[in-house]
Amino acid sequence: MIVVEGLVKRHGSNEVLKGISLTVAQGEVAAIIGPSGGGKSTFLRCINGLEPFQGGSVRVGPHTLAPGTVAPATLQAVRRQVGFVFQQFNLFPHLSVLDNLLLAPTVALGEARDAVLPRALALLDRVGLAAKRDAFPRDLSGGQQQRVAIARTLVMEPACVLFDEPTSALDPVMASEVMSVITDLAKGRQTMVVVTHSMHFARTVADHVHVFAGGYDVEHGPPSAVFDAPQHEVTRSFFEKAGKD
Amino acid sequence: MNSLLRAWTRALAVCAGIGAAWLVLALPASANDLDDIRANKKLVWAADQEGGGPFIYPSDDDPDVLLGFEVDMAEKLAQYLGAEDVFAQGAWDTLLDLVQADKAQIALNGYEWSAERADKFEASIPYYVYALQLMARKDDARIAAWDDLKKPKPEGGKWQVGVLGGSASEEVVAEHCGETTCEVIPYDGNTDAMRDVEIERLDATLQDTPIAAFYGKDFPALHYVDKPVAPGYYSIFVKKGETELIRQLNEAIVLMIRSGDLERIYRKYGIWDELNEQLLEFAENAKYWGYLKASMAEVEKVEMPDEAAVADVSTRKEGWEIVTTYLPTLVQAAGMTILLSVVSFPLAIGIGVLVALGRLYGPGWLRAPLTAYVEFLRGTPLMLQLYFIFFVLPEVGINVPALATAILGLAINYSAYESEIYRAGLQAIPPGQMEAALSLGLTRAQAIRTVVLPQAFRIVIPPVVNDFIALFKDTSVCSVITVIELTKQFSILSKSTLAILEMMGLTALLYLAMSYPLSLAARYVEKRLGNTGAIA
Repeated sequence: MIVVEGLVKRHGSNEVLKGISLTVAQGEVAAIIGPSGGGKSTFLRCINGLEPFQGGSVRVGPHTLAPGTVAPATLQAVRRQVGFVFQQFNLFPHLSVLDNLLLAPTVALGEARDAVLPRALALLDRVGLAAKRDAFPRDLSGGQQQRVAIARTLVMEPACVLFDEPTSALDPVMASEVMSVITDLAKGRQTMVVVTHSMHFARTVADHVHVFAGGYDVEHGPPSAVFDAPQHEVTRSFFEKAGKD
Repeated sequence: MNSLLRAWTRALAVCAGIGAAWLVLALPASANDLDDIRANKKLVWAADQEGGGPFIYPSDDDPDVLLGFEVDMAEKLAQYLGAEDVFAQGAWDTLLDLVQADKAQIALNGYEWSAERADKFEASIPYYVYALQLMARKDDARIAAWDDLKKPKPEGGKWQVGVLGGSASEEVVAEHCGETTCEVIPYDGNTDAMRDVEIERLDATLQDTPIAAFYGKDFPALHYVDKPVAPGYYSIFVKKGETELIRQLNEAIVLMIRSGDLERIYRKYGIWDELNEQLLEFAENAKYWGYLKASMAEVEKVEMPDEAAVADVSTRKEGWEIVTTYLPTLVQAAGMTILLSVVSFPLAIGIGVLVALGRLYGPGWLRAPLTAYVEFLRGTPLMLQLYFIFFVLPEVGINVPALATAILGLAINYSAYESEIYRAGLQAIPPGQMEAALSLGLTRAQAIRTVVLPQAFRIVIPPVVNDFIALFKDTSVCSVITVIELTKQFSILSKSTLAILEMMGLTALLYLAMSYPLSLAARYVEKRLGNTGAIA
């Protein structure tokens, strides 16, 4: 589904990603954990074409992102395959909840509003916010906003969804609301890559865990292997600080 | 990105098209004004109603009717040329520019003959002899002659003498009075200085004799001091090279002097005086200057108006009558103010948004020229821009009509401000909004159109409304290019009627009646959009 090879990303002289290779298979839930500043978010943004990169390649289905400037059509094709859920939700404040969901299918895909509507309402129901369809983002709690953002991404029916620390901006109660939605998606075999600080999620939901540190994918494997028998010193010291739950 | 550039280019092309359509309206300048006058049977003469009596001013009985000795003269001159006279309003100090830019054929509005003017334009023989008359209060014993002004002011300080700014009177005061004892205070209008002498803000004023004669009766507390000084001549001016036209005008003037027509007109407005006896001499000598036919032709003497008719050309209004007589004229001018604002502002926003988008999202090569566009337009006064379009472009064959110039000029000038407002508005939208839209598969152009711009529109409502009100008031600048809107009409009427207070009240009420509903509408829109979730 997603094949990343030797990805290098630099901000000026600062190398943020130092040649990362990573594969996400169809139906797989990959979790990326690791200390702050390890390049986790940047990595996600490169996959989605929100950041250009300097080396390596990102392949999403039949489309390939190459270093440097990428043709707008390619970017668009990749983004229609890969949804993105932001830490700060980024709902469109001038649109109602329902219109937030309808915008991309109607504008980007040219679908009729009526054609999208059942799909959108079903998704709102799935994230438990059917009653809020006419509310505006500013009237929702953070957890509700993030659930709308997830529904907004899913309405485009992406092959894969990238989550960038989806619960970091939320208090524990709201975070668990959102995590249960993501867990629910994982059970439905939705392919996804989740950058998270939730060790619990990585351990219990993910199929594959990657530990990013200092721009490297220092260690990866099934959760049991990574959590119970970490091979790398960096992983061990990270678990000492962050815990395993 | 490409589709955005395409959309941008298309929108710009539409704007350019609108501009080009205006230019097509422009008339080609002809080779010879006299042929034009005879072919179209129209003599277009430029003057400024605001200059007031006795030159040209709106009638007190019907402000749509123009009176004044130059109005009567223009009618006669046109007759001699076998045409009808068509009046072209212009600000006084731009009348010669109007002639230069082919917007009018002759400037006939109390322009003194001077060597500089006669060098740049064709000047007619004099049609009126004026001089400068010193006026002071009757009860002011300190000033009985010019010589009194040469003595130090008894109370200390300098004598305050009001003159028409930019006229010859400034030098004349300096010459006759001495800079050590007199201070020259320049005024815009003729009567303002007289009023200020009356209320003792000035000690004296120096006025052209026709103005002193015409308005003197409205200031009974003032009297003439000494004989008039520094005589000079009013001439008609036409474009350089229009020798045949000036020749015909000169013949007409000679005939009008000989028949007594000019004297009759001057008597009608109470401005015939000894000085103008000289005109008869000019007519007599015209045969030596080549105007043989006009100076030898049989002319029938016209009858002079009787003295009673001269006393008052029209009657002054008072109180309620002022409202009923002049309000319709002011309302009509207010209509022009509204027209200018509501047509030019949407254009300004359209261009402004395109410029802002081009600067923020456009290709690199586009940014520098757009930045230059904004900086140039913001950095130069609106008046200069209007002046350039209206008076300078005709030099290269582009003749844009006054109303189109006004709308175009306002739209272009304000587009610079609008683009800055929208640029700030667009930049205020968090980058996450664009990223969210892109990540959902929208193109950049779609994201701008459906996500970024709608939010920016809401943010900029207050500054845009502010700008609209500013433009609304800036429409008054358009009077330099002959457009009469509310402020100009106010100036014209307040000077011709002397009912300044009443006119000011009516004008202020009209402005308020126009701008208050606008504020209400803006507040309503702001509130409505605010309720539907503007930026948190």
